[in-house]
Amino acid sequence: MKLPADRAGRRRRGIFRAAAPLLLLGALIALPFAGLGPNGTRLLFVTYVWIATSVGWNLLGGFAGQASFGFAVFYGLGAYIAALSINGGINPYLAFPLAGAGAAAASLLIGLPTFRLRGPYFAIATIGVSEAVRVVMTNLEFTGGASGYRITEARPFHQLEHYATALVLAATAVGVSIVIRRSKFGLGLIAIREDEDAAASTGVNPFAYKLWAHAAAAALTGAAGGVFARYAAFIYPPGVFAFQTSVGILLMPIIGGIGTIWGPVVGAAVYGVVQEELIARFPQLHLLLYGIFLILVILFEPGGIVGLVRRSLQRIERARRHGGPNSASPPPEQVLRRAGSAEGRQL
Amino acid sequence: MTAADLLNLLIAALLLAGTYAAMSVGMTVIYGVMKIVNLAHAGFLMLGAYFVYELHERLGLDPLLGVLLAFPAFFLAGMGVHWLLVRWIPSSDKPTLNSLLLMFGLWLVLQNIGYLIWGNTDRSILTARTLQTIHLGPISIPKVGLVVFVAAVGSVVALELALHKTWFGRSVRALMQDRYAGRLVGIHVERTARLTFGLGIAFAGAAGGLLAMLYSFSPDFGGTFLLRAFVIIVLGGLESFSGVAIGAVILALVETFSIMVIPAGYQPAIAFSLLVVALIALPGGVASLLQKRQHLA
Amino acid sequence: MTKHALRNNRPIFIGLALLAVGAGFQGGKPAADEIRIGVVMPITGREGKPGQYQREGIELTFKQINQKGGIYVKALNKKLPIKEIFYDDGSDQAKSAGLVERAMTSDNVVAVLGGYSTALGEAESVMPDRYRVPWITPGAAATAIFSRGYQYIFGALAPIELLGYTTGEFLGSLVDQGKLKKGLKVAEVVENTDHGVDYVNGINRWIKEHPGYFQVVFSEKFELGGTDFSGLLQKVKNAKADIFLSDAHLQDYITMQRQYLQSGMDHQMISYGARGPEQDARKALGDGINYIFAGIWWSDNLPYPQAKQFIADYTAFTGHKPDSWYAAPAFDATRILAAAIEKAGSLDKTAIRDALRTIELKDSLLPGQVLRFGKNGQVNTPFVIVQNKPGGKVDIVYPKDAATGDPIAPKPR
Repeated sequence: MKLPADRAGRRRRGIFRAAAPLLLLGALIALPFAGLGPNGTRLLFVTYVWIATSVGWNLLGGFAGQASFGFAVFYGLGAYIAALSINGGINPYLAFPLAGAGAAAASLLIGLPTFRLRGPYFAIATIGVSEAVRVVMTNLEFTGGASGYRITEARPFHQLEHYATALVLAATAVGVSIVIRRSKFGLGLIAIREDEDAAASTGVNPFAYKLWAHAAAAALTGAAGGVFARYAAFIYPPGVFAFQTSVGILLMPIIGGIGTIWGPVVGAAVYGVVQEELIARFPQLHLLLYGIFLILVILFEPGGIVGLVRRSLQRIERARRHGGPNSASPPPEQVLRRAGSAEGRQL
Repeated sequence: MTAADLLNLLIAALLLAGTYAAMSVGMTVIYGVMKIVNLAHAGFLMLGAYFVYELHERLGLDPLLGVLLAFPAFFLAGMGVHWLLVRWIPSSDKPTLNSLLLMFGLWLVLQNIGYLIWGNTDRSILTARTLQTIHLGPISIPKVGLVVFVAAVGSVVALELALHKTWFGRSVRALMQDRYAGRLVGIHVERTARLTFGLGIAFAGAAGGLLAMLYSFSPDFGGTFLLRAFVIIVLGGLESFSGVAIGAVILALVETFSIMVIPAGYQPAIAFSLLVVALIALPGGVASLLQKRQHLA
Repeated sequence: MTKHALRNNRPIFIGLALLAVGAGFQGGKPAADEIRIGVVMPITGREGKPGQYQREGIELTFKQINQKGGIYVKALNKKLPIKEIFYDDGSDQAKSAGLVERAMTSDNVVAVLGGYSTALGEAESVMPDRYRVPWITPGAAATAIFSRGYQYIFGALAPIELLGYTTGEFLGSLVDQGKLKKGLKVAEVVENTDHGVDYVNGINRWIKEHPGYFQVVFSEKFELGGTDFSGLLQKVKNAKADIFLSDAHLQDYITMQRQYLQSGMDHQMISYGARGPEQDARKALGDGINYIFAGIWWSDNLPYPQAKQFIADYTAFTGHKPDSWYAAPAFDATRILAAAIEKAGSLDKTAIRDALRTIELKDSLLPGQVLRFGKNGQVNTPFVIVQNKPGGKVDIVYPKDAATGDPIAPKPR
């Protein structure tokens, strides 16, 4: 398929490009009315929550290249803030943004000291922070401590309400991700990921940019924690602040395709839906599979599932265009045109 | 608290420090040479514990002997892991995220292999010396704690000797200082890296065996120790062995004595907070403080 | 994203859509030829061992009932076999709740047995009222779960607070017998969970109601999975208590008792709450567990014929004897559920719930031999106190009418 040379043609393609995710969104909105049972609704609800955290983490870990191993702290804080607010009488739809804001504020407190560190040191520091908060929350009396905290709502439970909330959250997250990616801010983040010092020399303030990305990521993750807390109606520190939770949050974008927009979505979808089936049938194996996936991704396909899909498609297209796998190399003009486009994200 | 109590507490802290040091040495070696933060260290601690346990259960082997055997067994295992997985990571003189994630994936895999083989029953090793105490007047020293301490210190000392007296040891130290310069002077970097990785895993396995003599364990054993190992290495300075000893002592003392003043529930937060503080305030660890002194002097 | 992105991303969207659709359209239709009962227990993870035992107790009952053809359902005028829908929640609270939801919705079960340990129980307990499916927990005993006004939850374990109270009662009885002096000092060292907190509350309630017997001189909570309790034990030493009462999971019980013995500590009475006679503890501590007493929900020493029969059947079914108390409440919870289904006469979940509220199991294995759910859904069966005796023996030492041996107090040095 050749690139349309004319502007009208390219606009057509642009509209079409926007149409695909919107179509998906429409399908997801319609699903509950098309016969999706309560279990399916629950599965998708959980997936949407994971999409929000995954996309959120990716803002910092994928775009800016700062991999945090302690995102559970924002998930947990968001969960508790929302839970406390809802029990205190605040409208849940106000509680979720409140949770996000609280998590963002916390991210500032955490980022200020830790962003001085780079790479694995930063990762280890985030583990320390998250675990320290978990221990404190386990001992804090007024949030129930180790016994956990229960949300009691006067309103009856409507599963579709939660489904819609989570879908809006996930869509917002993806939207934020798209906007950031296409903005100068996003470009700055990527520059920081590629080479922080070089980025600084071009006028980007790495420290400030990282803090902003961290805040956006934390806000999404915190809101997701709040949305989850309201559905589960019971949260406790060894659950929401668990290291396992941090692990899950970072596994999703890495396996799906770190640094891309849809990679974290794919990773979260795999995590949410496939994991459920795995747990139901082979409970011991799912972490094993994730470990193997992670190793395979690191060694062979840093672009994750999305990267794999793209590469396979390119290979198929190349073979198809030149009539066979062993055909001659393409003419120079086409090589040049293709070289002008950026490749999939690398770690 | 009487003087005897204070002394007892100090001894307990010291014994703990010995264990902690032995546990952290493996990670330090690998980090120093290859700049890889080995998260799978926890997995190998766990496997070491089971290794010694199985030898004790099936062959009636004294756990100390099991620990001794763990060294060669895990050395080979470590080299195998390096050949299979680690050598594909591009080498660098700065720690990379890729290596961190790779080792993390390996840890997940090891944990689950542990589950599949041994289930999640808590196991422990009970020998005659486990519950015996040596009494020196008002001071009581648990026998098994003393044995583990001596073994731990012994292995660390042996490592230090090896690093200073053998050619291999010197090449390891050279690579720790500067990887490229090491290549220039004729060190076979890839082979040394493989041997070093094996050495690090050997220490992880042996340390796991030592820990198995003290604590009960299950396949997710190792996680709490991993974090402590981080604290120790960061406190001591990621590339120095005397630093590891210092870091271990500091952590053990802080953990043991802090509980006297704060509620017991908060104790784990101490280690974590220490970690964060150390990473931020003392990136070179305590050892860097000492080095600075030397330079100024 | 690149200009070629559309071509490259389309399969991703299709894939996502397919996943979503596939996620939704699963699950069984209500079957008219079997009774589906959901079982959600931790088989892996921290609570895996006791979870496994509880599962075995449940499955033993299923097997025995199915061997007789199943449960008779009046509305359908026939006996229907039980089908177990089992899920392992891996000791993860969020998964546990999700799996119970799954069982109650797409798997169309008539009831769910689940929730070993308070945290899992708390998380699961949100679902029964939400989907109006009765839920019985044979493994979660925290009073908090049953004090929220839920209408579809039942608990086959007596409250832990009562365990603490019974412990106090037992120690008080030793004072009355003259085995212990009056006014002894108690140190409480419990795990930082609902379990530990309830335990301490129960003990303290007894002590408060009986002034002069004991005084609490030390009370602290510790984090689960600790490696080194020497500082904490030093604090206990400083408190100069006479009685050491702890509440811990098996792992911490082993670690703490080891360090307790190694530091040369000694008290007149030692307990680890609901832990004491476990096989793993004996393997790990040898003689170190002698004279430790525990308050448990069931003991294999109980003289009831149905208990003896259960031990025989269980051993034949699983290949090992029941370890401590775990399997028995699960066994009885399943039996009472089956009886309730029969009493309800139909597979209507609310009818089954109503039957559970009024039914009584008259040959229960549990102490007292009668199992009946209280107003808030929780049973109130009495506890037995067992004590480890030298030579691997375990005796029931309280209450007197169930005792198989005399309590040894104070502990010999």
